[in-house]
Amino acid sequence: MSEYSDNELLTLFRDSENRNYAFNLIVRKYQQKLYWHIRKIVIKHDDADDILQNTFIKVWKGLDGFREDSKLYTWLYRIATNESLTFLKQQKTKYLLPLVDYENQLKETLVSDQNFNGDEIQLKLQKAILGLPEKQRIVFNMKYFEEMKYEEMAEILSTSVGALKASYHHAVKKIEKYFNED
Amino acid sequence: MEEFNKQLDDLKRNFTNPFTNPFTVPDEYFDTFPTKIQERILSGKREKNAFSRFITFAKPQLALGLMIAGFAFIAITIVEHTISNQTTLPVATGIHTRIVEVDASEFSEQHFIDVLLDDNKKPVQEKKKNAEHYINYLVDEDIDYGTLIDEL
Repeated sequence: MSEYSDNELLTLFRDSENRNYAFNLIVRKYQQKLYWHIRKIVIKHDDADDILQNTFIKVWKGLDGFREDSKLYTWLYRIATNESLTFLKQQKTKYLLPLVDYENQLKETLVSDQNFNGDEIQLKLQKAILGLPEKQRIVFNMKYFEEMKYEEMAEILSTSVGALKASYHHAVKKIEKYFNED
Repeated sequence: MEEFNKQLDDLKRNFTNPFTNPFTVPDEYFDTFPTKIQERILSGKREKNAFSRFITFAKPQLALGLMIAGFAFIAITIVEHTISNQTTLPVATGIHTRIVEVDASEFSEQHFIDVLLDDNKKPVQEKKKNAEHYINYLVDEDIDYGTLIDEL
């Protein structure tokens, strides 16, 4: 399945006979990357699963209109990121809580989550990341865990490279402070 | 901060190694996910198809309904237009109504003079020029009001 490039997959998708097959290949190619990207933002597996499904449904509906101004890969990431951010906003308004409180809830969830098996230091790092502002958290995750280039991140998040570098720098400093305080 | 970055790099090795990634997913999650998505897409298509079938079935009835509503709208508009035209006919209905409904003997001479001189009464306004002449005539001839009404 991975022998197909993004362009080949798009060409295949535009052929009505191979549409479902091509989409299935796209899902298989990107599901894991997008899942981990979403999971690190929303933490809980069930939420990540819902958001991933919604992401691919949107991709299915919008792929016809995809004009290849950007790469398929960055377009998918942009949808996944927007879906995750929308989800966080919905959670905040649903429980009438400021986002800080929701993130505190997530920290507690991490401890009891059956789908988190990290050791003490990994748990501490995740808690430190959850203490970051929403956008800084996304930038840190993309750079640190997914080792994405700043240029790609800039395209996905519609921000300048300089702003992303500054965000990452601030994020690392805050995490360092969290580690030193505890 | 350099030292901390190194510490973070050491930590990262654990995250990027699939065996030590602290986050996990249920068994076979990624194997079954594409099927789950296909099912959702198909169920969406089915819903869409059901809607299309409903539209196809209801199309003649909808067209007929819209046609009836259109005729009704046109008819109501025509009737309303006719009625509004009738009410603006240049007939001094105000005066006639007053004469028919009201017993003129109940009013004094002064009341008639006031009504005839009132600028706001449209039908009377046209006769304003002759009003004073009529009043003088009525006063001079000492005509009683019942006779005046009979003549009108």
